Amino acid sequence: MSASGQATLAAQQQALLAALWAPDTENAINLIAAYAAPMRAGGQKRLELGLRAYRAHGRELAPRALAGAYPVMAQLLDEENFGALARAFWLAQPPAAGDLGQWGEGLAGFVQRSEQLADEPCLADVARVEWAMHRAATAAAAQVDTATFGLLAMRDPARITLMLAPGVALIPSMWPVVSIANAHLRQEPSLEEAGARLRAGVAEAALVWRDGLRPCVREAVPAEATLVQALLRGASLLDALAPASALDFNAWLLEAVQQGLVTGARALAED
Amino acid sequence: MRHGVGIGWRHPHYGEVLEARPPVDFLEVHSENFFGEGGAALAVLAQARAHYPVSLHGVGLALGSAVGVDADHLEQLARLVDRIEPVRVSDHACFARGPLDGATIHAADLLPIPFNGEALDVLAGNVQRVQDRLRRPLLVENLSAYIGWAVSDQTEPAFLAALVRRTGCQLLVDVNNIYVNALNARIAGAQADPLQACRDWLDAIPAGVVGEIHLAGHCHVADEHGEIVIDDHGSRVSEPVWELYRHALLRFGAVPTLIEWDTGIPPLSVLLDEASTARTMAGQVNRPTARNAEVVQ
Repeated sequence: MSASGQATLAAQQQALLAALWAPDTENAINLIAAYAAPMRAGGQKRLELGLRAYRAHGRELAPRALAGAYPVMAQLLDEENFGALARAFWLAQPPAAGDLGQWGEGLAGFVQRSEQLADEPCLADVARVEWAMHRAATAAAAQVDTATFGLLAMRDPARITLMLAPGVALIPSMWPVVSIANAHLRQEPSLEEAGARLRAGVAEAALVWRDGLRPCVREAVPAEATLVQALLRGASLLDALAPASALDFNAWLLEAVQQGLVTGARALAED
Repeated sequence: MRHGVGIGWRHPHYGEVLEARPPVDFLEVHSENFFGEGGAALAVLAQARAHYPVSLHGVGLALGSAVGVDADHLEQLARLVDRIEPVRVSDHACFARGPLDGATIHAADLLPIPFNGEALDVLAGNVQRVQDRLRRPLLVENLSAYIGWAVSDQTEPAFLAALVRRTGCQLLVDVNNIYVNALNARIAGAQADPLQACRDWLDAIPAGVVGEIHLAGHCHVADEHGEIVIDDHGSRVSEPVWELYRHALLRFGAVPTLIEWDTGIPPLSVLLDEASTARTMAGQVNRPTARNAEVVQ
């Protein structure tokens, strides 16, 4: 392949992508016109129609794709506002992967920087919780290794840690994000109760994991949140438990294993 | 090669198909919807695989992209192929990846490539890379394209036949896409009869290289900007496309055929009815593919 040939193809493709993400159709046509097929009568019109079709596809796809990962956000904002948010996000942060299910990670930051959504400060954290649930939904199945729990009795807690299931995430928030998410996903608590907690300024730390095939979120009490955050960082059990003295560790561990949060224990690498 | 007629298996029909197990010869899914390491979608697909051959049809490899194929995407596809052991793996002769504002983006669309030597070099290189990783031939599908490139200097069938010669891949011929392109060409002023243009297209494809046929519906969009035909997979297969399917069967034999429906998905019974029509046509033609094998010149 000649270098110039490949460069031409790359330039054509770059021009079409720029045209699809251009702010308006007139700009889009200008970007691609030099590469498009020779114009017969009405050719400019055909190019415009074709570009409109491709541009419309992306703008129609964005709300549907984003709603798959953010069903609560789609409910909190009405269809028109969520559609506008999705299209703006599409233009600002285009997909990077061919699996559209992997698009949307940056939505929380995008929402946080949005002037239009500044009156709804809890939305960014709701988005963080939803993205964590979206990732948990396709995480590898948790494989509990019961035998490794023997390490808890045999080893110095400074030299072991707990293994959390794939997809486990902890999102601290100043807002009642767990109540908001579950009110929309499971109707438990009610929307009225979630609204009351929001007005009362209740803060909730969201613990996300997958129970079997179902992604879940529940509130983590402060000591549990501290422990899980430390474990997610790979801290030793000793260090993870130090600031979580209010937690009944044995009771917590039993429940965490039953829920599929913790899959085992492992020795830390020696220094 | 396994013959038969399958349906595109989409979310609204997951439960019904697993429960009722309708008599279809294979299920085709979009590969990317099952790229996760675990979870409900993968579990559902594994259940289906226990009862049906599964064909993995990709929409995201972007095989014609000058920047190449995404290595992560290819690895995810390879893991899925290992898990599901699909009867076929396919994707499109399109591009979608490229640079924008300093990053490599994916347009999440099937964007056209020119039919020339440079594009063939890129497409063949990417197809070969995928085939090497998957250790199996890929099926590559023709597009419905809404803009054309000035630098195309070959016909689409000649371009695709050359791709087959270079890589040993097979073709997935989407009859509806050919017809949509012919209709749009007529709207743009082409003089050729769309049906005849499509027959000529099919006749220019070497018969032994077609591994699957896709059938779907399309729609006409007319507004203040003009008229365009869109391959929306949102309605029954049109009569002209059935007619072209018969022509394709005569030329290619009873290759596996898929009924695709991706927007406004109807009751499962509608898809099964379309599949039944395709099966009846294939039975009438009754011409095994082996007899049609041609040496690709």
